[in-house]
Amino acid sequence: MDSEQLLAEIREANLTYLMLAQNLIRKDRAEALFRLGVSEEAADLLVMLSTAQLLKIASSNMLLCRFRVDDDLVWNLLTSHNVKKVDNTTTTQLHASILMAGKYAESMTAAH
Amino acid sequence: MATQKSILNESRDIERAISLIKLGARLQVLEYETSLSYERLLRLYKEVAGKSPSKGQLPFSTDWFLTWQPNIHASLFLNIHEYLSKTSELEEIDTVIKAFRLYTEQMTASAIEPLLSVTRAWRMVKFVDNGMLTLTKCSCCGGSFVTEPYENARQFVCGLCEPPARAGKGSAAGGLRLH
Repeated sequence: MDSEQLLAEIREANLTYLMLAQNLIRKDRAEALFRLGVSEEAADLLVMLSTAQLLKIASSNMLLCRFRVDDDLVWNLLTSHNVKKVDNTTTTQLHASILMAGKYAESMTAAH
Repeated sequence: MATQKSILNESRDIERAISLIKLGARLQVLEYETSLSYERLLRLYKEVAGKSPSKGQLPFSTDWFLTWQPNIHASLFLNIHEYLSKTSELEEIDTVIKAFRLYTEQMTASAIEPLLSVTRAWRMVKFVDNGMLTLTKCSCCGGSFVTEPYENARQFVCGLCEPPARAGKGSAAGGLRLH
């Protein structure tokens, strides 16, 4: 894949992400904060972007959406990799969901 | 609470009541969370659900939330609920409704039977408000799980890191399995 094609794919992924984020926030802000895992400030900024701004921001050589799982444990649970006592995929995924749902709530209390 | 007769408030109450009925809430939840009369709620219930509401008392014990499988469901719901209530300023009942929708969505996605009913979820939030249940961090995985308030946080290990001996052996379809 040449770099021009790579850039086009990054732009497309960015655009898809930004548009989805805007749709989610407009539909239900509270739910969107949970689904996207972004801060309230980021959500307020995202929702105000015009289409022209969206296109401009999407055209970059960097991806705008960041990996949400920043924790080895959660990643191992999601992939059912390296787990000992419970190795059922559904159950380990549920465990990962509990950990992920708990994540942001904590950092918010720490920030205030 | 100010009991001003406002058409706007009433319409909001009706909308909430409809959402709750659709999620399967018991009539007691509607009575508690809206200022609509019992007779109107009963009529609304029949119109929306197409049947009479089930009778009898609400489950009143905190024990259910502490048994292995229900505890995992309850913990997921409560984590979502906390997330929403910390990031958005919603009325308490709207937080419960939204969190419950997100919880059932996750259950459908993972093809697990949603053990937690909206009535139980609502009840649990009340238990937490009254200090009868709380979230305690697991000392092994760091996740927050529903426990009794006097659980020793330093030694607490959740049911997923250290499943009890009989866990995951039930034969019910859609139940959680260990292997």
